[in-house]
Amino acid sequence: LFLFCVVFADNNSTSYIGSFKISVNVDFWLHTGGNYEYILVEKRGEKKNVGFIQLNRPKALNALCDGLMKEVGQALDAFEADGDVGAVVITGSEKAFAAGADIKEMQNRTFQECYGGNFLAHWNRVSTVKKPVIAAVNGFALGGGCELAMMCDIIYAGEKAQFGQPEILLGTIPGAGGTQRLTRAVGKSLAMEMVLTGDRIGAQEAKQSGLVSKVYPVEQLVSEAVKCGEKIAANSKLVSAMAKEAVNAAFELTLAEGNRLEKRLFHATFATDDRKEGMTAFVEKRKASFQDN
Amino acid sequence: MMERTGIFHHVCRIKYISPPQTAGGGSASFCHVLVHGQHQQIRTDRRRARAASCSRSNFSDVQSAVMAFLCRSAASLLKPYRAAPAVLSAARLYSSGGNYEYILVEKRGEKKNVGFIQLNRPKALNALCDGLMKEVGQALDAFEADGDVGAVVITGSEKAFAAGADIKEMQNRTFQECYGGNFLAHWNRVSTVKKPVIAAVNGFALGGGCELAMMCDIIYAGEKAQFGQPEILLGTIPGAGGTQRLTRAVGKSLAMEMVLTGDRIGAQEAKQSGLVSKVYPVEQLVSEAVKCGEKIAANSKLVSAMAKEAVNAAFELTLAEGNRLEKRLFHATFATDDRKEGMTAFVEKRKASFQDN
Repeated sequence: LFLFCVVFADNNSTSYIGSFKISVNVDFWLHTGGNYEYILVEKRGEKKNVGFIQLNRPKALNALCDGLMKEVGQALDAFEADGDVGAVVITGSEKAFAAGADIKEMQNRTFQECYGGNFLAHWNRVSTVKKPVIAAVNGFALGGGCELAMMCDIIYAGEKAQFGQPEILLGTIPGAGGTQRLTRAVGKSLAMEMVLTGDRIGAQEAKQSGLVSKVYPVEQLVSEAVKCGEKIAANSKLVSAMAKEAVNAAFELTLAEGNRLEKRLFHATFATDDRKEGMTAFVEKRKASFQDN
Repeated sequence: MMERTGIFHHVCRIKYISPPQTAGGGSASFCHVLVHGQHQQIRTDRRRARAASCSRSNFSDVQSAVMAFLCRSAASLLKPYRAAPAVLSAARLYSSGGNYEYILVEKRGEKKNVGFIQLNRPKALNALCDGLMKEVGQALDAFEADGDVGAVVITGSEKAFAAGADIKEMQNRTFQECYGGNFLAHWNRVSTVKKPVIAAVNGFALGGGCELAMMCDIIYAGEKAQFGQPEILLGTIPGAGGTQRLTRAVGKSLAMEMVLTGDRIGAQEAKQSGLVSKVYPVEQLVSEAVKCGEKIAANSKLVSAMAKEAVNAAFELTLAEGNRLEKRLFHATFATDDRKEGMTAFVEKRKASFQDN
C-alpha cells in the first residue's frame, strides 16, 4: 500500500481510472473509512466537502483511549491533505459524544511514566488542525470528552448534551486543556464549580454560558453540524485558515499584539487570489468562486 | 473577681499581639475568651494539645511563668464549664469562632468540614474596614491550617454581603500614605487561599464587597443580590481587582458600563453574564453554598488545590502555557495516593476514600 501511495499520489489524476480499483492510495483509503478500529470516517455534504469523524466505541460510551486518539489524529491528517475537504465534523453517538478517557488505561500509571512518556501529548492534535473543526455533541461529553469538544473550533450541542469535568472525583485534574478552555469559555465561577465539584451542565446552560454556540434537537444535530461545515467549506480554505489562526491568537496574545497579528494576516489576504476574487465578485454582484489560492 | 478579671484582661491583651499560630498565643486568647464571658463548647483535640504543650518550651521564662499563672487560673474558672484543658491551639480557637470583632466564624456541614465566615458589621451594611479584612485573613489562615476543613463559605447578612469599603477610613488619606503604606495590600488574602472559597451573596455586593466576592472561586447569589462597582461616583476607581475580575467575568461592554456609571446588576443578569454560577432564593442561599462546600470537601484537598491552581492560571498565562501548566499538574497527580485511590475506586465501582495525600 505504501508503494501505491508513492506512485498514485495524485487524487485528481484521471489517467489512472483503469487502475484505480487496485491502486488506492493510503490517504484516499483512510478517509473513505477503511482500517479504523475505534472511529468511522467518511466525507459528507452535497459536495462531499465536509470531513466526518464519528467516535465508535459504543460499549465504552466512546471513552477516549490512546488508540482512538491516534486514529482521530490519522483521520485529521488525511482530511488536512485532502483538497476537497473544507471543514471537519467530529461527533459521537446519540447517547455519548465521549464519556471520558479510558480510566483502566490510566489506573496504574506512575508520575514517572506520565512525565517521561509525555502522557497525553498527542491528544491535542485536534487543536492544531488548520481547517475548521466542528464538534457535534449529543449526550455525554465528560472529562476528556469535554476537552476534545473544546479543542474544536465550534461546538453544536444536542438538547440532551451534558458537559462536565469530573476528574476531581477520581482524584485527578483535567489534563488536556479542560481547566484552561472551560474557564475561558464560561468564566471563573462556573468553571471552578464544575472542576471542583464534578457537576455537569446541560445544553441550554452551555449555550448561555458561551461554551456552545447552537443547540439543536437530538436527531437534527449532526445534519446541522454538517450544514455548518458546508457553509464554511464554501469559502476559501486558505483564508479560513488565516481567520481561524487569528481567532485562536486571542487566547495567546494581549489585545494589542493580537490586533497586530490580525492586521498582518489581513494584509496578507491581499496577497491571495481568493481575496481579489471575493471582493470583485461582491462588486460585480455575482457569486465568488474561490480557488484556495 | 472583677479585679482578677481586669488583670487577666490586661495581661491577655499584652500577650496577644499578633495572630496566634502557636499554642502559647492560643492560651492567652483562650483566657481572653473567658474574660469576655463567651461560652464556647471547646472540644479537646489531643493532637493539638500535644503540639501545643511541645511549643510551650519555646517561651521565655517570664512568658512561661505568666502562662502558667494564667492557665492555672483559667483552669479554675473553667470548672463550671464542661470544657477543655487550658491549652488550646489558636487555629482550633479561631476556626471555632472566638475572638472576632467584625466577623462570625464557625464550621458547618454534616461533617463540619466547611469553614464558614459571616461578615458581621450590620450597622455599616458590612462595609469592609481594615480590621474586618484582617480578621477575615486570620480566619482564612485558621481554616487553611485546619485539617478538617475542605472548603470555605464567605457570606454577609440577608440584606448585604458587603456594601463597599469603609469610606470614613479612606476619606482623608493622601496618595503618599496610600503608596507608602501599600493601602489595600492585604485585602487580596482571599485570592491566595489554597482551599476552594465560595461567596454566598445576598443583597448588596458593591465596590469592595463585589471585589471580595470576585476574589472567591465560586459565587452563589440570592435572588435579590445586587452587584456593582460604584467607586466612580466617589471620584475613585475600584482598587482591589474590580476592573480586572469583572471584565474577565462579564465582558468589556457590561464591565465598562458598570465601572463608568456605577450602575448595579441583579442576580439574574449576573448569572447570565457569567459573574455568578447559581441563583437561589434568599433563604436557601447559604445552605446551598454550604452544600456546595460539602461536595468540594468530599474530594481530595491536595488535588482540589491543584485543580484550583490550574483554573486560576487561565487568567495569568496564554492558552498554550496554561495547557502546559495543567499538563504538568495533571502528571503530578499521578504521584499522589489520592489519584490512585480515586481511579481504583472507579474501576472497582466503589466509593473512593481520599486521604489528602
